[in-house]
Amino acid sequence: MFNGLLAENPIFRLALSMCPAVGISTSVMNGILLGVGVLFVQVFSSCTISAIKNHIHPRIRIPTYTLTIATWVTVIDLVLAAYMPAAYKEMGIFVKLIVAFAIITMRLEMFAAKNPIIPSFWDAIGMGLGFLFGMVTLGAIREVLGSGTLLGFDLVGDKPLLFFILPAAGFFVVGFMMAMFNYMDLVFKRMKEKKG
Amino acid sequence: MKQILRITIGLIISCLAAGTIMGSAYVFTAKAKKHNEHQKEQDTMLGLLGYGKANPAPSALKLYSIYRYVIDGKNAKYLGYMVPVKKGNDTGYALLVLTLDGKFHASHELKLSLEQALDASERGKALSTVLKGPAGFVYADETIVARMDGKRLAYLLPGHFQGYKTFIKVMLALDPGFNILGLEIMEHEEDPGLGGDIVQDFFKNQFRNKPFQKLKELDVVKQPLPEEYRKVLEVKKGSMSQEELQRVRAKYQDSDIYALTGATISSKAVTDGVKGMVKRFAYRVEVLDRVVSSQKLPVAF
Repeated sequence: MFNGLLAENPIFRLALSMCPAVGISTSVMNGILLGVGVLFVQVFSSCTISAIKNHIHPRIRIPTYTLTIATWVTVIDLVLAAYMPAAYKEMGIFVKLIVAFAIITMRLEMFAAKNPIIPSFWDAIGMGLGFLFGMVTLGAIREVLGSGTLLGFDLVGDKPLLFFILPAAGFFVVGFMMAMFNYMDLVFKRMKEKKG
Repeated sequence: MKQILRITIGLIISCLAAGTIMGSAYVFTAKAKKHNEHQKEQDTMLGLLGYGKANPAPSALKLYSIYRYVIDGKNAKYLGYMVPVKKGNDTGYALLVLTLDGKFHASHELKLSLEQALDASERGKALSTVLKGPAGFVYADETIVARMDGKRLAYLLPGHFQGYKTFIKVMLALDPGFNILGLEIMEHEEDPGLGGDIVQDFFKNQFRNKPFQKLKELDVVKQPLPEEYRKVLEVKKGSMSQEELQRVRAKYQDSDIYALTGATISSKAVTDGVKGMVKRFAYRVEVLDRVVSSQKLPVAF
């Protein structure tokens, strides 16, 4: 389950779903909302695919995945709009984006289609949390540097580096985070070698 | 061949299953969603008039909707205003048909109650019964007139215009002299952190109290927002003395709109959009009022 959080973090290690990660992570709140949305869709889709995996013709598995994701996204979107208008007001635009997320399709293909429901469920939770963690980290860095705020609270007083809110800066931040993760990986490996 | 069939049937079945799930989710939630949207709109309108949870709207406050349609006649186009009229003790609707240059053309009684008029399909039904012949009609917009104590209190205009990316949906409140009472952004897809800041108090409240005369030539300036003005725009009730508020408001009343940093296009779009909405509305309502008084129609608004 914790595989998704660090060792296979969707954003920093697998480099999947970069487009939303770069586009949306301009503030911590955006990161949290999108992360929670992905978590729900990932869990529902993984369980569905895992339950019906024996009936899917292998040649048309990708369309089936897309269809499953689209169905769940639509259902979540409709339910949120109807019964949680306050949450929908904040999350509405993000939920619709999730249809095209690579991370979800990839997890369905790599894991849910080969494993029973319960491991798929935990894998989905792990991956969802990993994505949430990545988005919040990116959001925090970009919000502090770009807007000078954190979760909407003013820290600096003005906008120090406006550049960090623009999409291009998203790539820089993701790049640096990836480098950091790779470096950490290297350090751990060396430590292991020394012990061994 | 067998494979093709299996794949086709498999895909059809999955599509049907997905369609059924989505369809039933829609059917179950549609009513609640519509109710929410209507509620949100109602709350926004009252909010713009200064009513909220803390000080609820008095029962003397009445909101009347006027619906505008473009009617395709045989030879020419007409404007159709669906206006609320008094029928004895009740209020119903009548249709006023105007030529494009604002002359009276025809009027019809409509079998439509105030509640029924909220539903677009009910309005369409009522319209098609009175408009005979090949006349088609297209819905244009809605205006809400707020009345209290026998006077017009405000006009509420829902509208939308082009933003930086897609449409920006707004709700605008005007007093009877077309001065702006307030602006609320209902829906937008501008960039978060840049154009998205049009929803912030320090931007949208700049429109508040703009006089109609100034509005006709309103523009945006690319200058930083003065600190004292920002404080007034973001003010919470009671945290600033009335005289101070009045002084700063009066000072900036005739100033242009200060553009958002890094989002000149969004700022300009909102300013021009609001300007256009108010100008067009002021013209339309004058024409409508003239026709209504010349026809001696017992209108409710």
